Amino acid sequence: MHRNVDIKVAVLLGLIGASVFSVPLLTADRYMLRVLTFVGVNVIIVAGMALLFGYAGQVSLGHAAFYGIGAYASAHVVTVFGWPWVAGVAIAIVLTAAGGLLLALPSLRLRGHYLAMATLAFGEIMRVAFVEGKGVTGGPDGLSGIPFPSFLGIEVDSAGGNYWLVWSAAAAVLLIASNLVRSRAGRAMLALHGSEAGAMSCGMDLTGLKVRVFVISAAFAGLAGSLYAHVVGFISPSTFSLHVSVLLVAMAVLGGTRSLAGPVLAAVILTMIPFADAVIPGLSRSAVETIQEWQEDVYGLTIIAVMLFVPGGIAGALRRIAAKGSVR
Amino acid sequence: MGGTELLQFGLAGLKNGSIYALVALGFTLVYAATGAINFAQGEFYMLGGMLSVWAYADLGLPLPLAAVTGVAATAVLGGVFELAAIRPRKDGDPLAIIIITVGGSMVLSSMARHLFGPTERPLPAFSGGGSVKVFGASLEVQSVWILGMTALAVAALWYLYNRTGLGRAMRACAVNRDAARIVGVDTRLMVTVSFVLAATLGALAGLAVTPLTQTVFDVGPSVGIKGFAAAILGGLGNPIAAVVGGLVLGMLESLSIAFISSTYKDAIALIVLLSVLFLRPQGILGRWRREKV
Repeated sequence: MHRNVDIKVAVLLGLIGASVFSVPLLTADRYMLRVLTFVGVNVIIVAGMALLFGYAGQVSLGHAAFYGIGAYASAHVVTVFGWPWVAGVAIAIVLTAAGGLLLALPSLRLRGHYLAMATLAFGEIMRVAFVEGKGVTGGPDGLSGIPFPSFLGIEVDSAGGNYWLVWSAAAAVLLIASNLVRSRAGRAMLALHGSEAGAMSCGMDLTGLKVRVFVISAAFAGLAGSLYAHVVGFISPSTFSLHVSVLLVAMAVLGGTRSLAGPVLAAVILTMIPFADAVIPGLSRSAVETIQEWQEDVYGLTIIAVMLFVPGGIAGALRRIAAKGSVR
Repeated sequence: MGGTELLQFGLAGLKNGSIYALVALGFTLVYAATGAINFAQGEFYMLGGMLSVWAYADLGLPLPLAAVTGVAATAVLGGVFELAAIRPRKDGDPLAIIIITVGGSMVLSSMARHLFGPTERPLPAFSGGGSVKVFGASLEVQSVWILGMTALAVAALWYLYNRTGLGRAMRACAVNRDAARIVGVDTRLMVTVSFVLAATLGALAGLAVTPLTQTVFDVGPSVGIKGFAAAILGGLGNPIAAVVGGLVLGMLESLSIAFISSTYKDAIALIVLLSVLFLRPQGILGRWRREKV
């Protein structure tokens, strides 16, 4: 019986994967591909946020800073130092992981929600740094002319190629994350949700665990930043503001706890809302503008409604529906 | 640097510091009642200025009445926000409350943009422009208002906290919520009261500053972070510490402008915030309490 479920899940994942990867074969609409590529970038960050919020019970209000560090670091070493793109990606991941470690170690030693406050401050410090550090970041005008990703001498310059690149990275990130939650560390995180004191009394190093999860989520954001910089070719401080950090929190919250699929789905939905015309043909310009006008209100109300009325977010709601189905 | 110049920077620090103190008091009151950070505190600051501008410019009320209307309307909104979005979360989980206030902050600032437009809006100074001389340094008359209003608000809060039954109940709630409930304190009411007070204090700060800086729908988060840094610097949960933290932060910022550069003025509060969190999370006036299971 259990085996049957596993096979069903595997088939379902295979189908979803195949349809995601076949999109560039079915359409040549550059706008649509660009929006969907951007969705992939957000999926990578939200995978980390889901581990942090849904499994480790912490929230980061500064993940846009890691996203930005990854983007600027990668763009800088590739355009100024002339390093290959792969080295840019590596630098982005290493720097953000190190930054995550420096931030998480002192704030997670303490109980309570110091990480939320520290990440909020860190995010704002980095925003000031992105604007003022003109030598590296280009200041408020940002950096343009960042070259496309290229490896083995092949430049990935088509919209479809970029789409495949980003979604391959997203698939790899999701694979890493799902292995993590199935591992010993994942079970420890579930225990942590039941009772922190209980988990600790069983000899679990919860602080070390939370620090590791935070470092991984920072590195995911760094990878996403590097991909974004090279795919879009232009970055500026507004892409990495507090506002973006809050949107990422909204995705993790709506997606729900103890799940990767829920947050991924939330990332897809919330990222697409302002670009609804990319996937709904015939949507008028004014309708899109109305959506964008009210987007903030919708996100804010969504966060509140989920915290009040939908415990566990999308994932929790799906679990309840599934449980009802199996009882019948 | 001459003494007069230094005094000039000191006065600017005192002015900004008292604004941070008011915002910090809001954080500290809500933290004492709920154990959570109210991310929407900066929005109360924005609303205090914005609703006063609305009452003055759009409704045509005389300035004093418009100011009272703006602050009172913000206080009501603070209470409504608590009743509608915080109270229904019955377990009172601090992480959930933090996230709810993040959502509330988005909704409040976005609503302000829908209603009052995306551009900066002015408010006239309370008693004309101009400035007074203090030992050779000049101080805008509006800054005198800011200092006076802060002093009055702090005194009123001190009285409420130390001399009234409501204040005693709030303090009991801050020390131990369950114990307070057992002896008959309505702890849920205390949470609502803390939000109303936090909104009032934030609104007063926003109202007092708007004649100098104008106001716009998105000023909330940046002021909120400064006030939060001040609350942490002093020691979260203690009103006197919030005031001290605010004044110290204002002075530090002013000194950094005087001796380093104004470029990094905004980073000072953040660096202070991170340093205090890492080195002395209980704040300069706080006493360390060991967490027990």
